[in-house]
Amino acid sequence: MTGLSGAAPVVTLTRARAVVRRGIIISSIALIGIGVAAILALGFTPIEARQGLAQKIFYLHVPSAWSALLAFSLVGIAGGLYLWLEDPRLDLFAAASAEVGVAFAAVMLTTGPIWAKPIWGTWWTWDARLTLTLFLFFLFVGYLALRAAVHDRHERARFSAVVGIMGLLLVPFIHLSVYLFRTLHPQPIVLKPSAPSLPWEMLRTLLVSTVMFTLLYIGYVTIRYGIGLAIDAREQSDAG
Amino acid sequence: MPAEPPATGGYMVAAYVVAGTILLGYFLSLLRRAKRILKQRER
Repeated sequence: MTGLSGAAPVVTLTRARAVVRRGIIISSIALIGIGVAAILALGFTPIEARQGLAQKIFYLHVPSAWSALLAFSLVGIAGGLYLWLEDPRLDLFAAASAEVGVAFAAVMLTTGPIWAKPIWGTWWTWDARLTLTLFLFFLFVGYLALRAAVHDRHERARFSAVVGIMGLLLVPFIHLSVYLFRTLHPQPIVLKPSAPSLPWEMLRTLLVSTVMFTLLYIGYVTIRYGIGLAIDAREQSDAG
Repeated sequence: MPAEPPATGGYMVAAYVVAGTILLGYFLSLLRRAKRILKQRER
């Protein structure tokens, strides 16, 4: 383990700086990649006949939903592993992933209604998929508030691990909600047992965008993890 | 003759602007926090 509980703060700080730098490089590459994916979506992918240009929101909405659900799932997994192994790195990672997940969920929850308005005729509907997703977002906003309110490091990690696991349990319900309940939200067209049901050009653009959003998730989590390391270094220094 | 797709470009532009603002804004927030915490330690 690198300097979270035992090593001198100066070593941890050096490591924090290196981690932040790595995160900035990864995030910059991903942001450029997302720009390329946007150009691909706007200029080199066919316009859907029934929805018009609004369908191109798909290339933002689906990758941001993927990244948010990936982030929240990993918070739950890291939380479970923390309760078992009590390795503070897992708690630090979970905190980073939760915050980044909230940012991606904000993209998902704003682009979704903007897409819904011209297609469904309404910004929002209280069906299972949308309501559960909004609930998951608020759960992780609460997770971040909980972390800010509890000062004892071990208590904070244990409490937030339990909330993270609750969030993880919601993720499969959200994915399957379109099969389980009547909903306006379309069923999965890629992550389903049969082959993806969209033309190759659209699938290609979606895949490029999803890879870049995933890379951006990795970059943001790396920076946020580095910030966590630096905060730990400060706390150790203040305590020492 | 095939029908024209509906004129929904404004929604698309709005979604791309909102998403870009959130993602870039969060990136800048991370950079500012990282800079502040790392600078504090150098003093």
